[in-house]
Amino acid sequence: MTDDRDKLIAEAVEKALKGDMDAINGIEDRVTRSKAKAALHKAKKAAKAAELTSADASESDAVENQTETISTNQKIASIIDGEFPGSVVAQEGESEECIYIQSKFWEKVASFLRNNAVLDFDSLQCVTGMDMGEGILEVRYNFHSMKLRHSIEIRISTPIENPHIYSIEQIWRIGDWFEREVYDMFGILFTGHRNLKRMLLPDDWEGFPLRKDYETPQSYHGIAVPKVKEEWE
Amino acid sequence: MGIIHGEEMVLNIGPQHPSTHGVLRLKVRTDGEVVSDIYPVIGYLHRSFEKHCENVTYEQVIPYTDRCDYIASMNNNLGYAVTVEELMGIEVPEKVEYIRVIVSEFNRIASHLLALGTYGLDVGAFTPFLYMFRDRERILDMFEMVCGARLLYNYIWVGGVSHDLPKGFVETAYQFLDYFEPQVKEYNNLLTYNKIFVERTADVGVLPPDVAINYGVTGPNLRASGVKWDIRKDEPYSIYDKFDFDIPVGRGELGTIGDCWDRYWVRMREIEESVKILRQALKGLPKEGDVHQAIPKKIRPPKGSIYKRTESPRGDLAFYITSDGKPKPYRLKMRSPAFTSLSVLNKISRGWMLSDVIAILGSLDIVLGEIDR
Repeated sequence: MTDDRDKLIAEAVEKALKGDMDAINGIEDRVTRSKAKAALHKAKKAAKAAELTSADASESDAVENQTETISTNQKIASIIDGEFPGSVVAQEGESEECIYIQSKFWEKVASFLRNNAVLDFDSLQCVTGMDMGEGILEVRYNFHSMKLRHSIEIRISTPIENPHIYSIEQIWRIGDWFEREVYDMFGILFTGHRNLKRMLLPDDWEGFPLRKDYETPQSYHGIAVPKVKEEWE
Repeated sequence: MGIIHGEEMVLNIGPQHPSTHGVLRLKVRTDGEVVSDIYPVIGYLHRSFEKHCENVTYEQVIPYTDRCDYIASMNNNLGYAVTVEELMGIEVPEKVEYIRVIVSEFNRIASHLLALGTYGLDVGAFTPFLYMFRDRERILDMFEMVCGARLLYNYIWVGGVSHDLPKGFVETAYQFLDYFEPQVKEYNNLLTYNKIFVERTADVGVLPPDVAINYGVTGPNLRASGVKWDIRKDEPYSIYDKFDFDIPVGRGELGTIGDCWDRYWVRMREIEESVKILRQALKGLPKEGDVHQAIPKKIRPPKGSIYKRTESPRGDLAFYITSDGKPKPYRLKMRSPAFTSLSVLNKISRGWMLSDVIAILGSLDIVLGEIDR
């Protein structure tokens, strides 16, 4: 099994090095694909560095860099899980790029992130809403610490029928506008938000445009909406 | 401040008002002439950028990013291109990297010139505006040389740039820099240390560093509050780690750290730093190289998400892209720096006079195209 996979990766990387990225993108299995991508990245880096110095040194360098980036999210995930057992949801294959938090723990975890001296996330960089399909909405938070210079990504999912997530607007004040924008586009209700109104769209707009099942209305205040052309006409 | 208690009144500034820098409406509650609350109403320029992006291919997103921050389109192009490249693992030729840095830094100068010139207008100085627009015009002429467009370039593509630099560009760029550097001194004489200007801006609208971070304020506005944070230095993208330049931070030279004058002054200093970067980049620009070599035939990033920040003239410009392996993005979110800068307006303008609010708003340097997207 592992031999087959290694062979598949090696072939795909060889093709991709010649410029055919589809060889890697076409791999069905997610884990294999990401491994192939990492191998390609490494191969490219190694090839480049080989011209300057010995290939061995650069390879170990690349490996070191990788483990470093992987650890920030995982390290902080284990700290959070230690403080609030059961709050971190294990997700296979994605634990290096983000931390999944159970939504019922979010209120406590959020203030922990802000106030703990080891974490000290004083800056909320971005809040992204996302429609994952199959009745799941997700909110993704990107945090950064100006003092300790590290960043993480936190993801929380909520069902589309009853989307509720605890608001962090009073911990990071920029959360006010970010959460209003997510509410505007996805209809996620942030519990405890003091002014949850539409941000970019008019107050009387119907529906939440960035949900995947959104249908463009026929008209707005009597103005007909022009039809979208599928292709060039 | 705030000791007088008269009858309260609600005033509407905008949506069409010259000092709101675009279609922004401010609901201002005033007590006499003292402002007690400001409620910015945005969305007049909303063009559903993020929704559009889900229906076009990755290449077709680039012209949309132009139209977000239309003052600094090159930097928007660059931010998007860098993000997609990292998601796909594309390595860009060195020549392309140099060209990108050159055009982005020129655009940063042009953007700051516009910001400072119109800021002068806001507080009643008309002449510096003309001087700065005269020089900005020359930068736009150079962009016209490079890609044919003066404002919306669609120049930086994923994996490369649309055209190689034309013949004679480097010479023109050097000529401009030689001409431009002494001009900064002229601006300083005209506006920076002008008594009336200093009276209007120093000590006004002080933004403390902790408040700035809490409100997600970035870029020159954050640096004016004394926080040394610049993505070009702290999280280098493209080839910014190769250049030697300083990060100017506010020092409260004529007032308090983080006042309007500091925000103005940091931008003025950044122009000088950009000139420094430009000189190094023009010197190091490789002669040979194909700018189209690394452009992929099909942009189809592997499944996954990425959050990548770059330094636009207004602050941290970030793209959050989620790909599901198809030629169109599954979700694309733009974190715009002006959006977060505007959110702090209410906090720092309370207690000031109505005319000071105009000075504070101008000093934040917002672009409504980017706020409303």
